[in-house]
Amino acid sequence: MAVAANAAPPALLGLAIPAILVAVWEVLGQTGVVPQGILPAPSLVAATWWDWAFGARGMGFNPYLGTWAETVLFSTKRVFMGFLTAIVLGVPIGIMIGWNRLVAGAVDPLIQSLRPIPITAWLPFSIAVFGIRDAGAVFLISLGAFFPIVVNTTAGARDTPKNLIRAARMMGASERQLLLRVVLPNALPSIFTGMRLGLGIAWTAVIVAEIVAVKSGLGYVLWDAYYVGRMDVVIADMISIGLAGFISDRVLVAAGHRVLHWKQFGAR
Amino acid sequence: MAAVDIEGVRKVFGGRAGAVEALAAIDMTLAEGEFACILGPSGCGKSTLLNVIAGFEDLTEGSARVFGQGVSKPGPDRAVVFQEASLFPWLTVWENVTFGPRMLGRPKPETEELARRFLGLVGLAGFENHLPDQLSGGMKQRVGIARCLILKPRVFLMDEPFGALDAQTRMQMQELLLHVWDEARGTVLFITHDIDEAIFLADTVYVMTARPGRIRSRIVVDLPRPRTIEVLTDPRFNALRADILHQIREEASKATRAFEEEERARK
Ligand SMILES: Nc1ncnc2c1ncn2[C@@H]1O[C@H](COP(=O)(O)OP(=O)(O)OP(=O)(O)O)[C@@H](O)[C@H]1O
Ligand SMILES: [Mg+2]
Repeated sequence: MAVAANAAPPALLGLAIPAILVAVWEVLGQTGVVPQGILPAPSLVAATWWDWAFGARGMGFNPYLGTWAETVLFSTKRVFMGFLTAIVLGVPIGIMIGWNRLVAGAVDPLIQSLRPIPITAWLPFSIAVFGIRDAGAVFLISLGAFFPIVVNTTAGARDTPKNLIRAARMMGASERQLLLRVVLPNALPSIFTGMRLGLGIAWTAVIVAEIVAVKSGLGYVLWDAYYVGRMDVVIADMISIGLAGFISDRVLVAAGHRVLHWKQFGAR
Repeated sequence: MAAVDIEGVRKVFGGRAGAVEALAAIDMTLAEGEFACILGPSGCGKSTLLNVIAGFEDLTEGSARVFGQGVSKPGPDRAVVFQEASLFPWLTVWENVTFGPRMLGRPKPETEELARRFLGLVGLAGFENHLPDQLSGGMKQRVGIARCLILKPRVFLMDEPFGALDAQTRMQMQELLLHVWDEARGTVLFITHDIDEAIFLADTVYVMTARPGRIRSRIVVDLPRPRTIEVLTDPRFNALRADILHQIREEASKATRAFEEEERARK
């Protein structure tokens, strides 16, 4: 047995490769091997980011000064609203599909046929219906997050052990109580898996929507900065998107651990 | 009035692989307060019979009545103890035990008092806040029994509740069950593979035939109660065991022969 490979790696090991990459990138930028207009050095990106985050607004010609927080907030708000809509629709629909054959027969084919259409393909439709407004972005985000949530909820509801359902019935549970007290809690681990996948898609969707369909947020700034040749802003924006996605996923996982505390026991 | 009255019950499972006749024509009457055990070869329809009485499966022919009422769906008057406990893993022991009364909207103070009493009776006082996955197999089964007791059912249905336990724990659970039954009373239908278990627990032992299941014989166990482990060495116990063992062997070999014939017919 390779004991060393199983042992926990030192915490800093994972940072080594990124650190080397950043160092190489910095050298390439400083020496001018790669033009700053294409790949600005990390130090420049950091400085830009600092100004973007903390600069005094309206000074000079830099429209980005001090707008980082509100930009992130715009995107986060859309993600939050779209994601919440996806949960509010996806979980009950998924439970019903997983529980009731009639509902499954009626609704599942529709969902399965819409699911392969990528959210990017919905863009023109979304703009045509909602115009260049927030609602369009929220629509795309909720649509993108809806499918993994509904599909995983369905799977979780469907594999409720037969004997748990029988036990609940024998103890006098009504159909409604059965859904809320047995099928739903049994599906929760799957629902969380679906929510994590959905949240990832939500961040993809918000960027796409902001590039095309609204005039604010990280996606809008990304494309706008590219147009005016501010690659330093582009890269700072990209990293911001990654961070926002990462942090929201961690928050979701932490919430999941709280709700699913019973899952940490036992072998399943 | 009989506690459980089974008349000409036949059960055929339809399926893609063809129809399976699980029960042929079962007749069986349990008196109120009777502790009945069912023995029979594997696959003879024991669980099917219990599920019909529980209301989990509907029957093809015949009638199943519990205290005169035709069985139509599951309900708290017929509590079921499952082989794998089947507790809700997301609920604590306390929440599992009080689940039924909460669903039924029974008054909270009474429920709490009963929960405390029955958890004490099955020896789980102090484990109220444990999750099922933190319990041993025997402890889970005790929770399974407590959550049935609290329903105040008229009939207890138990499908090999101790089948998955080791011999030591199983013996303890059998004694515990008799102790609990002394307190709670009620009619019990208990399925098992274990002849000793059946004789130790039961007033009457029903031996079923190989599938399709019928009742082959009804044996009255006239050993005095309360029973303790000592009863295992009683000569009457051994006589009963020899008789039942002989019957089971016959049915088991019938089952094997039937299986072989089916195989041959298929080839
Ligand atoms: N839902 C079902 N669909 C089709 N056939 C079934 C179903 N449930 C049980 N059977 C069949 O009915 C017969 C009796 O099954 P049952 O589970 O009642 O047997 P059993 O006596 O409890 O066996 P064991 O001792 O192994 O638990 C078996 O042949 C089984 O394959
Ligand atoms: Mg069985």
